[in-house]
Amino acid sequence: MTQIRWWVVDVFSRLLEPAEREVVLGDFADSRETSGRALRGVLGLVARRQAALWAGWRPWLTAVGLIVPLGMLLSIVSRRTADGSAVYLWLYANNWDWALTTNPGFWSLLAETGVHLLVWYLTLACFSWTSGFVLGSASRSMNRINGVLMCLMLLFGALVGAPRYFAFCEDYLHRTFRVAALPDYNAAVFDLPFYRVLLPLIVQGVLVALPAVWGLRQGLEAVRFRLPLRISLWIAAVATLAAMVIQDQAFWLFLNSHVVRAYRQPGNWLGWGIRLLQSVVFWPVAYLVVREVGRRWQRRIA
Amino acid sequence: MLGEFEYLLLTAATRLGEKAYGATIRQEIEDATGRPCSIGALYTTLDRLELKGLLRTQMGNATSQRGGRRKRMVRVTGKGAQAASDFYEAVKRVSRGVSWETSRATVRS
Repeated sequence: MTQIRWWVVDVFSRLLEPAEREVVLGDFADSRETSGRALRGVLGLVARRQAALWAGWRPWLTAVGLIVPLGMLLSIVSRRTADGSAVYLWLYANNWDWALTTNPGFWSLLAETGVHLLVWYLTLACFSWTSGFVLGSASRSMNRINGVLMCLMLLFGALVGAPRYFAFCEDYLHRTFRVAALPDYNAAVFDLPFYRVLLPLIVQGVLVALPAVWGLRQGLEAVRFRLPLRISLWIAAVATLAAMVIQDQAFWLFLNSHVVRAYRQPGNWLGWGIRLLQSVVFWPVAYLVVREVGRRWQRRIA
Repeated sequence: MLGEFEYLLLTAATRLGEKAYGATIRQEIEDATGRPCSIGALYTTLDRLELKGLLRTQMGNATSQRGGRRKRMVRVTGKGAQAASDFYEAVKRVSRGVSWETSRATVRS
């Protein structure tokens, strides 16, 4: 029990600034503090430090302006990706037949589907990484608490936000366009708890939460870059976030209903712009590769 | 004007002199008041007093007793000593003619 308490003390002390953490843990060792008292002490100090940070307006702006909308948007994209890929996964995993492997058409379709799924997953991971990157660059002093809040928001989005959003969209479609309810062609897939419950959570955890936390840490480092490079990164990040908004069908439904009837006129202004955005989305891959190559190059020179 | 805890902290740090850092100040306050002193209250008050210019802190050396971790050494400034002295004088003045010897306070005429 004591060891567990000390482990919890160690975990919570990471929410303190590194120098303060060192001093506080040193004081505990110095005064031979009991684990229970140390735990109360560190929790109290973390609570006071966090409360002091939230006294300003910036953390609230970050929470309302970035964490909530990005967390919700990522949850929606993640749910759509999980549901979309569930159909393909079910098709292959739950209906596997060795006889199919003798059919050449099967292999080309499998390759096509595999690439399709990979692109979906990579796009989602890039959206998540970029969101974390933006969050990390925007608010350095609160990066740990922002990371925790982002993960909580993603959990809320996965369990409550995204399912309610899709229910709302469906209802909106019926009311606005008087679309009759379509039969659920994928009922066989989503009757299985794995595809209905587990897969969305796995996708949210692996392709959203982890890349977002990774991006957040990279965003902290990026503030040391030179201004032109920082501006370029921000342009790529903003373009990626724009692509994340634009790819959502509700955005187009909104445009169609309230703005320019763009839905019925897929104009030329959209075509090349969207294709460009689609490729910009993968900028984190290029960024990480270039960074890694640069690091290795510097190590070799040193 | 200082708060009660700020006064305790400045006085403990002054008494400890060169040995004033988080753990020793905390022990000193606990011994004097007979009450536990939370590390959260201690370090947030240290920050506040440093911001007011009443004390200065700096990172000290690491010791094996602390698992190789450094101390945050505390030194009371002249302004801090003056503020503590003013507080003490105010307590003395306001206490003049008041006796706390019985369970109920009495005022001497």
